[in-house]
Amino acid sequence: MKLRKLLVLIIGLIATFALVAAACGNDDDGDATPDTAGQADAGDTVDTGDTGDTGDDGGQQAAAQEAPAGSVSGSVTISGSSTVEPISVRVAELFEDVQPDVSVTVDGPGTGDGFKLFCEGETDISDASRQIKSSEAEVCAENGIEFVELRVAIDGIAVMSGEGNPVECVTFNDIYGLVGPESTGFGSWSDAGSLGLATSDLPDVDLDIYGPGEESGTFDSFIEIVLEDIADERGQDAITRPDYNANADDNVIIQGIQSSDTSFGWVGFAFAAHASGVKLLDVDGGGGCVSANADTIASGEYPVSRSLYIYVNKAKADANPALVAYVDYYMSDDGLGTAVSEVGYVNLTDDAKGATRANWAGR
Amino acid sequence: MAKARLIGDRTNKMMVQAMERRAADVRGRVFQITLLVTLLISLFILGVLIVDVVVDAWGVLTGRPSGFLTGTMRSLSGDPKLGVHQALVGTFWIAVFVAVFAFPIGIGAAIWLEEYALKNRFTRFIELNIRNLAGVPSIVYGLLGLFLFVKSLGGLTGGKSIASAGITLAILVLPIVIITAQEAIRAVPQGLKEGAYGVGATKWTMIRSQVLPYAAPGIFTGTLLSMSRGIGEAAPLLLVGAVSGRLGSNPGFFDFSAINAEAFMAMPVIIVEWVQNSGRDPGFAEAAAAAIVVLLVFVILMNAAAIFLRNHFEKKRG
Repeated sequence: MKLRKLLVLIIGLIATFALVAAACGNDDDGDATPDTAGQADAGDTVDTGDTGDTGDDGGQQAAAQEAPAGSVSGSVTISGSSTVEPISVRVAELFEDVQPDVSVTVDGPGTGDGFKLFCEGETDISDASRQIKSSEAEVCAENGIEFVELRVAIDGIAVMSGEGNPVECVTFNDIYGLVGPESTGFGSWSDAGSLGLATSDLPDVDLDIYGPGEESGTFDSFIEIVLEDIADERGQDAITRPDYNANADDNVIIQGIQSSDTSFGWVGFAFAAHASGVKLLDVDGGGGCVSANADTIASGEYPVSRSLYIYVNKAKADANPALVAYVDYYMSDDGLGTAVSEVGYVNLTDDAKGATRANWAGR
Repeated sequence: MAKARLIGDRTNKMMVQAMERRAADVRGRVFQITLLVTLLISLFILGVLIVDVVVDAWGVLTGRPSGFLTGTMRSLSGDPKLGVHQALVGTFWIAVFVAVFAFPIGIGAAIWLEEYALKNRFTRFIELNIRNLAGVPSIVYGLLGLFLFVKSLGGLTGGKSIASAGITLAILVLPIVIITAQEAIRAVPQGLKEGAYGVGATKWTMIRSQVLPYAAPGIFTGTLLSMSRGIGEAAPLLLVGAVSGRLGSNPGFFDFSAINAEAFMAMPVIIVEWVQNSGRDPGFAEAAAAAIVVLLVFVILMNAAAIFLRNHFEKKRG
């Protein structure tokens, strides 16, 4: 009896699986149709391009910068910062529609690990959330690897409070006192002064904190930019206090900050920029209070921001047309513009984009 | 009359005693109820977990089930091409590697230990170590895989490939396979073996015709359960080099060139990746839940296969 029941169960499961498999099969066909159509389109473009352009390809290259659609194949390997990873992935996804035969693989073990691989010649591009250190550049030089550094986007974090908060400007010391590892249990803004750090004169009002959780890249960025140096000096681990309202959803964080006049919180600037009912605090990173807006972030004046880079291996670019096509695409408005803002980072100013493009063109 | 009355009294007293003793067995009842409660707690937690995951995954699973199974890793959760195909292919091949490497070696080692090895201190030492290996944290096997299969034998395995990951996980489950197979072989009645010898069987014939068929159901259950454990491991795969952001290629299930290609993805890793992405893009939480359901179904199907095989062999044995 029991046996029979089990058999029925198994047959049921297998039948379900078969159905799902059949559904997949159907969908494969469905998917294949647009794909082949896409490829055919790409092929057509190449054909028409070839007939007219073969002669002036050389002349056009510098101006157009982009290879005709579907004309290159090969693979590109990228590793490095998990902060930059979403940009490189998004660029690869958009690029896939233009050059479907290029396979781009992106990994994000971290900036340091990325440079290790890059300077051993294992990867074509290294994503980085900071500039290369001289010690890392030395390894590259020892291994004869020349690279070009391209600034691609800005990672800015807005520090916020409720609209009724009298506080206008906070220093890094203030933020450390409010959310740093030693602030566990602090329930008032004025408690930040009790750590012996030079802080601003903060009012004795309730402190409700909302921010991203550990799984978030913004969480890591915030620690690395604001808290890490102070924590190192004080011999503390570079972490936040554990007792705050952490949420993965930026909308929920914003709602939390709105809910109290004396709240404190932070999210990526691109998201905060169009949030209402919150007050973006000015931040003093040592050079006076700077308000957070697209200009101050793009110019680097706003202290809770940092530039994001990609490093391209020159020799590999010379040998691999797929790599050149990918970086060309990265440098286009689809890359530095669309992809960057789609994944939630701040675009470079037009001047800075121009400088990056010039770096790439002049490699 | 008096006699009858006496008997009646005695029976009465015995009845009362018996009833009193029953009533007095409070501890027994408490113990029984406690056991039931522990069972209910574990079932309840499991139920909550499954319901929670399925509820989270519902939108994806009902909205575009086939698109999700055939899609690839994407950077935005709203992308219609988002899916687990690459990870499913990776996990499928890892399961194949575990089956091909861990099962024959593990079962072979178990037969040797149970039937051929001398029962001396050296054998006991080996068995002790196998038991210890079964308790080693999986990340340690990841390190082994990184240095041995990715670095040293990179030419053979293709470096950070499905092959490296598969062999690493095969080694991870090997001690568990040996132990469960040993238990199954040990449970074969001595009389069966002696009977085989009695009709003139050699040791090899005895093992082949009596021990293995009798132990097969137990061996299958143990090995396939260990495989379920193996394919759920994320930590070793992260070390052996499952990519996190984007896998350029999307090989089919039977694309053999993908086995030693220098990049791969697997179900547990894609779940980790998407849970992390949910910080940036909350829609990924749903995708991660859906991926968990897909992995659960994969594991259930494998366990169903194990039950099927066990029943098949049990019938044979019957």
